[in-house]
Amino acid sequence: MTSLSDRYVDTTLRRLPPRQRTDIERELRAAIADAVDDRLAAGADAGEAEVAVLTELGDPARLAAGYADRPLHLIGPGLYLDYTRLLTILLATVVPAVAAAVGFVRGVQESPVLTVIGDTLGAAVTTAVHIAVWTTVLFAVIERTPALRRFPDRTWTPDALPDPPPSRRARWGELVAESVALVLVSTLVLLAPVVSPETDAAGEPVNVLNPWLWETGFVYVFIALAVAALAFSFARYYVRWSLPLAVAGALVNVASAVTLIWAAATDRILNPAFTTAAGWPPDAAKWINVGLIVVAIGTLVHTVTESFGQARRR
Amino acid sequence: MADDELLATHLQELRRGTVVLACLLILERPNYGYALLDLLERHGFAVDANTLYPLLRRLEKQGLLTSDWNTDEARPRKFYRTTDRGTALAGALNGDWDQLDTALRTLKGES
Repeated sequence: MTSLSDRYVDTTLRRLPPRQRTDIERELRAAIADAVDDRLAAGADAGEAEVAVLTELGDPARLAAGYADRPLHLIGPGLYLDYTRLLTILLATVVPAVAAAVGFVRGVQESPVLTVIGDTLGAAVTTAVHIAVWTTVLFAVIERTPALRRFPDRTWTPDALPDPPPSRRARWGELVAESVALVLVSTLVLLAPVVSPETDAAGEPVNVLNPWLWETGFVYVFIALAVAALAFSFARYYVRWSLPLAVAGALVNVASAVTLIWAAATDRILNPAFTTAAGWPPDAAKWINVGLIVVAIGTLVHTVTESFGQARRR
Repeated sequence: MADDELLATHLQELRRGTVVLACLLILERPNYGYALLDLLERHGFAVDANTLYPLLRRLEKQGLLTSDWNTDEARPRKFYRTTDRGTALAGALNGDWDQLDTALRTLKGES
């Protein structure tokens, strides 16, 4: 037998369990030799006959997979639906949850705002990649381990149908409330420098909010995030649910909450001049900051649970 | 072109499984892989070598075939033979094939 057939047989055997090799090698060699002899008897040239026989046998990896009864797919139809369902639920919930946790910790640590946002997004991307990779690996292993596939077969019944989503009218009500709240809060914030219950010695109004927010333009970041979050709420109402939309919407909500936590933790929301002018007790500013952080945490938790509920309904 | 492809796909679907029955029937008399490939082809069961060889081992593992090495000749060959279990299964498959045939004839109004 020439080197071409040897290489073919070796390549095939390398992909087989050792205990199968001897037997398959003998049989495969005999089969190749028989086929080559047949072609030689029909008048073919020796080299051509061998090439033709090996070409007919095809990719050794495919042949070896046949001998070893290995699937030639990563995740087969039996597991595919469970795989996509688990992956969707994990991505739609764990990614926002991790982003929220990282953002919260960085915000409370009073890191610079760019660090807070960068770390939050970085954590979201890393988590998404890990979830995708490990879920895929897990299902590929189950696909290749017959013992793991002997789970009691869950036959599908109509009981497994998703609950009907809340009525469109109820969701429309939520949207209207959200829009009204956004307009009111933005108006109050934007009017804060010119409308105030307190005035300074020169008779100018004292801003309730920290002038730092205007000096750095940060107030516009807040409003932009709030507008983006509202836009995603509208998108969810009008556009069909999709995983990228759900994750992006959740991340915008997380970003708004985290930015608020960071600003409150670093005491950049209230104007110290205003609290003094209004004669508030010294602890008042601190408690208002704590209150804002609690509200922001509520938003984070709500974002994660809502994502979970929506992913479950798909 | 597209029609040929469509036909090929559906023929493949229709014939899937008939190779097993043909193997079990032919191997009532012991034979080896390459000769079986040749016989199947001559009887009109087109099957690739890289499908048939693993299939024989799978059927052996399922107890439908048994095998022996024949070293009488210069080239040792693995001979497969249908077991009693394989014969019984072939009978069941054959019965099903006849039923299908009758059913199709009835559908065509020929019975």
